[in-house]
Amino acid sequence: MNAEQLRHRRLIRCHVWVCGVALACAVVGTATIAAGRAADAESDLDAGRRHWALVKPVAPPAPAVGDMAWPRTDIDRFLLAAMEQAGVKPVADAGREALLRRLSFDLVGLPPSPDEVREFVADTSADAVDRVVDRLLASPRFGERWARHWLDVARYADSNGRETNVPYPHAWRYRDWVIAAFNDDMPYDDFLKAQIAGDLLKHSGPTDQAHKIVATGFLALGAKPLNTQDPRQFRMDLVDEQIDVTSQAMLGLTLACARCHDHKFDPVTQRDYYALAGVFLSSETLYGTGPQLQNLRPSTLIELPPDAGLPAAVAPLAPADMARLEREVEELSRQAETVAADARAARRDGRMENGAAVFVRVRAALDRHAGAKSDLDQFQADGTPRSLAMGVLDLPLPVDSPLLERGEVGQPGAIVPRGLVEVLCAPDEPRNIGVGSGRLDLAFWIASRDNPLTARVMANRVWLKLMGEGLVATPDNFGIMGMEPSHPGLLDHLAVAFMDDGWSVKQLIRRIVLSRGYQLAAVHDAGNFAVDPDNRLRWRMDQRRLDAEVIRDAMLAVSGRLDLEPTPGSPVARIREDRQGMIRMLGRSREAAEDCRSIYLPIVRDQVPEALAVFDFPDASLVNGRREESNVPAQGLFLLNDDAVVSLARSFADRVGRLPGTTPDRLAAAFAMALGRPPVRAERAAIEDFWTDFSRRHARRLAAGGGGAHALADGRHPAESLALVAYCQALFATAEFRHLN
Amino acid sequence: MTRPVPLHRLPGPACGSRRALLRDSANGFGLLALSALAAKAAGADAATGPLAPKPPHFPPRAKHVIFLCMQGGPSHVDTFDHKPKLAADAGQMAPAAAGRAGRAALLAPRWKFSQRGTSGLWVSSLFDEVAAHADKLCVINSMATDLPAHPQAFAQLHTGATQFVRPSLGAWTLYGLGTENQNLPGFIVINPPAAAARTFGSAFLPAAYQATRVGRSLAPGFAGRGGGDPAAVDNIDSPLLDRAAQRTQVDLVQRLNASRLALDGGSSPDTEGVIESYELAFRMQDEVPKVMDVSRETKATFDRYGVGADGTDGFGRQCLMARRLVEAGVRFVQVTHGNWDQHFNLGTALENNARQVDRPIAGLLGDLADRGLLDETLVIWGGEFGRTPHSQGTDGRDHNNKGFTLWMAGGGVKGGMAYGATDDYGYEAVDKRMHIHDWHATILHLLGLDHERLTYPYAGRDFRLTDVHGTVAREILA
Repeated sequence: MNAEQLRHRRLIRCHVWVCGVALACAVVGTATIAAGRAADAESDLDAGRRHWALVKPVAPPAPAVGDMAWPRTDIDRFLLAAMEQAGVKPVADAGREALLRRLSFDLVGLPPSPDEVREFVADTSADAVDRVVDRLLASPRFGERWARHWLDVARYADSNGRETNVPYPHAWRYRDWVIAAFNDDMPYDDFLKAQIAGDLLKHSGPTDQAHKIVATGFLALGAKPLNTQDPRQFRMDLVDEQIDVTSQAMLGLTLACARCHDHKFDPVTQRDYYALAGVFLSSETLYGTGPQLQNLRPSTLIELPPDAGLPAAVAPLAPADMARLEREVEELSRQAETVAADARAARRDGRMENGAAVFVRVRAALDRHAGAKSDLDQFQADGTPRSLAMGVLDLPLPVDSPLLERGEVGQPGAIVPRGLVEVLCAPDEPRNIGVGSGRLDLAFWIASRDNPLTARVMANRVWLKLMGEGLVATPDNFGIMGMEPSHPGLLDHLAVAFMDDGWSVKQLIRRIVLSRGYQLAAVHDAGNFAVDPDNRLRWRMDQRRLDAEVIRDAMLAVSGRLDLEPTPGSPVARIREDRQGMIRMLGRSREAAEDCRSIYLPIVRDQVPEALAVFDFPDASLVNGRREESNVPAQGLFLLNDDAVVSLARSFADRVGRLPGTTPDRLAAAFAMALGRPPVRAERAAIEDFWTDFSRRHARRLAAGGGGAHALADGRHPAESLALVAYCQALFATAEFRHLN
Repeated sequence: MTRPVPLHRLPGPACGSRRALLRDSANGFGLLALSALAAKAAGADAATGPLAPKPPHFPPRAKHVIFLCMQGGPSHVDTFDHKPKLAADAGQMAPAAAGRAGRAALLAPRWKFSQRGTSGLWVSSLFDEVAAHADKLCVINSMATDLPAHPQAFAQLHTGATQFVRPSLGAWTLYGLGTENQNLPGFIVINPPAAAARTFGSAFLPAAYQATRVGRSLAPGFAGRGGGDPAAVDNIDSPLLDRAAQRTQVDLVQRLNASRLALDGGSSPDTEGVIESYELAFRMQDEVPKVMDVSRETKATFDRYGVGADGTDGFGRQCLMARRLVEAGVRFVQVTHGNWDQHFNLGTALENNARQVDRPIAGLLGDLADRGLLDETLVIWGGEFGRTPHSQGTDGRDHNNKGFTLWMAGGGVKGGMAYGATDDYGYEAVDKRMHIHDWHATILHLLGLDHERLTYPYAGRDFRLTDVHGTVAREILA
């Protein structure tokens, strides 16, 4: 075989994998592929089963290390052993202030207060860190932070996106369920089971049942091609999205493209795809949305048990309002009929008219009626709001999918029985589904100790969020095109410990943050850097950019404006489901937001609030196990010039202005509030220079001109208040405010 | 004449004078350092810093690049790759040479090709207006890329790599040459696709080399059909302070940043990136609105680009802005037009797309030529791959990475030239195959950069845009 052939083969292998099919054949290596024709499926599977990620994790003993004094936990022994082998030495531990700031942002997504910093610095007891960690893990703010990581993976949004960006007014129930699940430390296996098959799980009563149904919103939240003409095409696209999100989020595999691949090396895995497709095709996905011009595929929603006691998104309607809404629906229904009848009559009589205009008129009348109707449908007859949710339910009769040639609905092949992914099953394990859709089987098969991927993928996700980089740097791809783990033994150690701890996410986090490896300083070391510039060995903590939500929440917290009691539901829930709602939703998302934590901001796909978008909020239509961290002038311009930031700086300044002491005291206190540490000498000098310079050269002039001046609550001179606002805003704008050291 | 200096021997931007200044600043020489920062802000000291102009390896043919990126994979057999045999054999099952033997029928090009200009270059009726500039085009019919999947191929088009995050072509260009106007970003993407940051990022190159986004697109993963508002530069003015006061404020921010950098041992790419980005942001506040403001262009110019006309307004504005940016000294400008992924509905969708870009691109080529800018501006057009000669469904074409077309114009390439060829049906490049790596090598060559010498040390080895590949297509050099 010449070089060109080799290259070509390699590319084929890559391509095959990229499309998600090749788990089996890709790991076989050239031997099978080089034959250039269909390989023996069984041996492919056997080889596939040997890929590191598909071998069940077994906790290895912690390795021996030379420096016995350094490690604090088993995690440290794994890290240090690798460092010693490479000739790298861990840097010093982080200072107390930096550590508390790191723990606070990592665990609850908010800065520590100056009092908390003082207390922690003063607390020299041996278990001081443990107690802080336990306090943070027990805070309701914890769930609000960690749910957001899962929502990234679950591609959560409050609207459909794509061509028809209609609102999802009930998506927030899923969001709130995820927040509660993290706060309650719901075992991760139960957490996954509920999202795949909550409607089919045993429950302890109406409330529990309602929660479990809400969890299946995971499968219903995707971006859908709602303007698809062909219902079969739409159903297959919907199922494809469900397979994609489930396999990437929970298994770290990209199975979805096996849909259209017709290559000859590995027919089994295309079967796998359609076996899974049958599972989802046997379920009905209910996502709401009202019919309209661009929405040819509206659906209903799931009505939750009325005695479940779940919060309502909208206020009850008074009888008079209810009656008015009913009349409106009737009236609009009549209008729509009249308009349609007129159009028919006009056509019958051959009266000349602009066809497009007629169409639009009829359509608009129908849309108005549908919109009002979906408004009315939100309520019971007595005006109390119905509890509605997005989610999935089993169809009465399950169906098996045909294998579609090249994924085309017009090219059905042989019927594939519903089933699981073969390469992930032991050789003699039954893979096909007996009764029902098979979602329950799928749920228990994924959320299982026997699944080699599930615990590893989650342990890696948690590690990545705490350390800045995954042990596997491709968190959503554990396949052959993904990266190999930097510390395979450590990954398995964490995965097994995670399962042994009853799949407790809080314990997993606790385990990691109490390691010495987590608590290292984020400093440079030239010698280590020369050996390991990417810090794969974890010889220091990486400096990290805070996530968009955390930057916004921190500004709110520091300025004293953070509202920890958001209005239940979502702004999107309080608008109509129809086209009118869509227009209003898009308008509203650009308005000044509430001062709630960012996780409660409505995520309208492709219209993400600017405060989030500018700091790399991910594409809400895709699974995102890791976020980008860009560093661009738009961020500086946002912090220097955005109205909302200036408004927060004013509030911060108001707060600082009321502090006791001299001006330098207050300025130093503001610094500590924003950055979690007092200024060092050079910084005090910089602040003093600024204060003198700004007051002398600018403040009076600007205040006199009315430019931006405002009176502080305690009636300080406007010039001084302006300097203070400019100073407080500068603190928001520093690199350190948005970085975690 | 400037002697070529191997770039990797120049002091790297991450360890250059800027850092030394900042380190000093935290150690008590703050005012000195800050005055240097401020001087740079005023544009008085453009000779240092990572974005300062740098000598190329050899005399360049082009000084600027405008990349007209057609995201989704435009069909070459319907636009710039004339295949009479495909038309003649349409309806027959595709032979093995065309991919899926016996399973899909060959689909005739939907639009009539004819020979254009004095060069007789074949262009279909989809690009009648661009075709008027046929004698300026160098049409490369023999392109190839590794994979027929969008994300990977799109990444390769921009970065050379399918799998790993690598610096983009624009970032490498900026790293190699710096930029002429220190008050504007050197690398600008207009209406970039969402979630495609890696295609215009700097990866391991210093953050100063990544693109600055202007405007925003509406659809996820797609650049939209010239929708969005290309002139939207958010937050360009403070509601609180005037420029002088804001400079005092930014000076404080920068001194605090410098202090943080010192506390972190003098090396923090993140903090250094923030420092760079503030200086750029501050300068951009004044400069960008001026350059972005197209209102004083003439009616004739608007008409030329299709600005104000239905369908072409969005992309026309972006092309016009690209010209203004290049004129103002921006090194690399990318304009993206999305939705060229015609798996179905080829007949209407491809025609719509072409209609949206044909006049704006023709306008751009003509305008650049009239202003004497085309000689020093390399215009490149194309998407991440082409499409299959056989049909997908009844009215669509699938992805084709084995053979497709990109074209170049101006900037030192031969005009009126068709380079390389695909087979009789347009399936696979068979003559003078040009892989994306070769294409990158050629573009860098036109800019005066040797793709083998343009390297950056990272993780223990020297990286380059073309990895270990790339051959300059000397035949297309004018």
